[in-house]
Amino acid sequence: MELQDTYYNKSEYVETASGNKVSRQTVLCGSQNIVLHGKVIVQSDAIIRGDLANVKTGRFCIISKGSVIRPPFKKFSKGVAFFPLQMGDHVFVGENTVVNAAVVGSYVYIGKNVVIGRRCVLKDCCMIEDNSVLPAETVVPSFARYSGSPARLITTLPEAMPDLMTEFTKSYYQHFLPTTVQ
Amino acid sequence: MAYLTQPDYVKYICSCGQLKPITSLYFCRHCLKIRCGFCICHEVDSHYCANCLENMPSSEARLKKNRCSSCFDCPSCFHTLSTRATMAQPRQVVQDPAAGGDTKVESKQPKKMYYLSCFNCRWTSRDVGIPDQPVASGGWPERTNPHAARVNQLLDYYKAIALQEKQEKIERERKKFNIRGKYITLTDKTGLTGAMARNIAGLPSSESSSSAIASFVPSQATEEVEELPEDIFTKEVNLNQITSMPQRLASPEWQPSSVSRLHPLAKLLSVKRSQRCRACDHNLTKPEYNPGSIKFKIELLAYYHVPEVKIISHEPVKPGGKSALLLKLTNPTGHEMQLRLLQPEDIPPPEEKEEPKSIEKSLERSLNLEKDTTSLKPIEVTCEQPATSRVSAPDVTLTLAQRDDAAEYDDDAQHDTNDIIMWRKSNKLALRLEVVTDEGAEGGAPAVAKVALQYSYRNTVPPAAAAATPRDHTLYTTVLLDLGTVSSN
Amino acid sequence: MSHNVKILPGATVCEDCTLEGDITIGGGTVIHPRVTIIAEGGPIIIAEYCIIEEYSTIIHKKSDKQENPPKPLFIGAHNVFEVGCKLESPCGHIGESNVFECRSFVGVDVKIGSGCVIGAACRLTAPQTLADNTVIWGSEHHVREALEKQPSQLLQLDFLSKVMPNYHRLRKPNVHKRQPSTRQSQESSPKP
Repeated sequence: MELQDTYYNKSEYVETASGNKVSRQTVLCGSQNIVLHGKVIVQSDAIIRGDLANVKTGRFCIISKGSVIRPPFKKFSKGVAFFPLQMGDHVFVGENTVVNAAVVGSYVYIGKNVVIGRRCVLKDCCMIEDNSVLPAETVVPSFARYSGSPARLITTLPEAMPDLMTEFTKSYYQHFLPTTVQ
Repeated sequence: MAYLTQPDYVKYICSCGQLKPITSLYFCRHCLKIRCGFCICHEVDSHYCANCLENMPSSEARLKKNRCSSCFDCPSCFHTLSTRATMAQPRQVVQDPAAGGDTKVESKQPKKMYYLSCFNCRWTSRDVGIPDQPVASGGWPERTNPHAARVNQLLDYYKAIALQEKQEKIERERKKFNIRGKYITLTDKTGLTGAMARNIAGLPSSESSSSAIASFVPSQATEEVEELPEDIFTKEVNLNQITSMPQRLASPEWQPSSVSRLHPLAKLLSVKRSQRCRACDHNLTKPEYNPGSIKFKIELLAYYHVPEVKIISHEPVKPGGKSALLLKLTNPTGHEMQLRLLQPEDIPPPEEKEEPKSIEKSLERSLNLEKDTTSLKPIEVTCEQPATSRVSAPDVTLTLAQRDDAAEYDDDAQHDTNDIIMWRKSNKLALRLEVVTDEGAEGGAPAVAKVALQYSYRNTVPPAAAAATPRDHTLYTTVLLDLGTVSSN
Repeated sequence: MSHNVKILPGATVCEDCTLEGDITIGGGTVIHPRVTIIAEGGPIIIAEYCIIEEYSTIIHKKSDKQENPPKPLFIGAHNVFEVGCKLESPCGHIGESNVFECRSFVGVDVKIGSGCVIGAACRLTAPQTLADNTVIWGSEHHVREALEKQPSQLLQLDFLSKVMPNYHRLRKPNVHKRQPSTRQSQESSPKP
């Protein structure tokens, strides 16, 4: 009920040396530009566009099914480029979410079916609820809980948020176990 | 995370009687009591803008009416406006959209002009006719209210009256203690008062407020009211051009009725708050000054001091029957903790410390900068939540090891031989308990079980007057467990 | 169903995407991986300089009152279809320079002019016609008129057409029709 269930993955997951568990059914474009720091779970049907720009995640991140992690587009005076996308540690990205943000801090919880507009900045310890839409270039301050479309500040998060996210992502990773194919 | 997305299954009873999950509770180390958001003092620590994450000192915040000076909100959808740049050819009128966001100044012929744009509803500052600015930040024209002068005059008048009333009150108080001094004053010797001296010297009088009061003209009511235009009922209304009520009331001084008169709104500041226990006046949480930092200077959360109870699973509750309940207990402190589960009625009442109330005691406390609470008696509020079920508490004292961050790399849980303990892992413990439900519980009613915890707590920071060695305390907490609904049989 | 995909030179189409039916893709268009374009009810013609991002779905649905030969779904130039958007239409004409933001949905019988913006997660299901320069935003689908044209995406297109070939396998452009005789015979036969 409260404590998480054990999630089973089949033998479709590849486990790397640093403990990253990546599904084979993901689309990782430009995988040389994608840096998964360690103990990161990338579930099936996720898309990480490393071909556009560098994508860097911290430790214990969880990218759920069907999410799209895409670096945002930035126009400079000398031309255009895709801005590298940086995610901190202990970030949970829900299912079918589109993350176009420029910076995602640590200890962030992103719900499912969320659309994060381009060049958004999500500071540490914030939370975006399910089905919300963040318009482009929104700055989400720490300990904020945003919801709705366009997402607005709903409430403040408890001060223990870093510990809650750490505990959640660590136990999710520990419970993400392979089943033997029968 | 369960506390973020799931409803609260486990609620603790705060010392003020409120039911809260453990993440919303604080623990006062000096009173050794649990506090919640309702029984503490919230104070504003610092102001900052949620968009530019810049701090603003509180005096400046008060001056700017708690609004940021460089960030604006879209008047149409209230999202934050972004500054975008275009190249403006000085000769041609046609503008080509080009680079955006970079603040490099180019000294070429085409100058960079900036305008505000909302990414949510695609409103731009050009829609209402605000000219583009050559400066990236600031420089946006502020509209002056035609009534601003009158409003300021009214404010000054009332401030002057308030000041005058306060001064009169002080004068009256002073007159009561009019003790004749030992020395002769200058006034008695020469017959010259301060006001007369100032008059002779030619200086203005000290009472400047009197001028504000004297020159004030009260508002006049007029009988004439502007006539409605002839075609107000017949003219076609274009709903796209009319502002909605939230848009209109967002700027109460102007209240534009047409979309073309909307103006960007200065963004409201957010606040960082610090919390303080009401009983002993010590700080419970104090954040850092930097808006981007998530650390705290003082962080006394119940999550770090009180053992955490979590429901792993439970069987559905039947009236008159027994159900199994699996609980997980966690010790968040850095010391070993002795835990016992009790019935809520078995908690011993708090001992009344009978200290004689004397002036010396309260003086001593105020010298030590402690709040004097001997004259205050808190109102006891007990939580009147009827429990449908009782947890049959085992008579065993459980020991929970201290929290060890390095121990996560050790191997898994050890299974103890005890019947009740399912597994034990560093500072966590899983228990299997039995829940007995009342016969009279109605089917469909929410099933609530009450458990009391008795735990040992080591106080690492002694209060000022007590002994230097840390003391061990035995503390009690009552926890309410939400076990779904009683199944009707 | 015949697969007749005509890719004009200059278009960048990833091999990963699902293209079924009679589809024409104009030059300069960029189609990201994992895109689904299904032309079961008739041909789809995508003009030049469009951007179609991942997980987008463009379906030319079969409808009962189908004309024979079926009218094509024509998508104008400079349209942007962001991640996860869905376009289902039996026939129609999508204008130029529209922006379909992430996870938007445009259902049947919706005609869209030029310069419109369908906001993120907005769903247009009722039959309607959107005038030019309409902006639809928010969970309550507010409508307002944009007085400014949306910024052009030519720079992004430029960048993408240079960068994408380095990381993806692309479908080669083919301007000639592949099998003209078999295509006609398959179109006249009733579809299952």
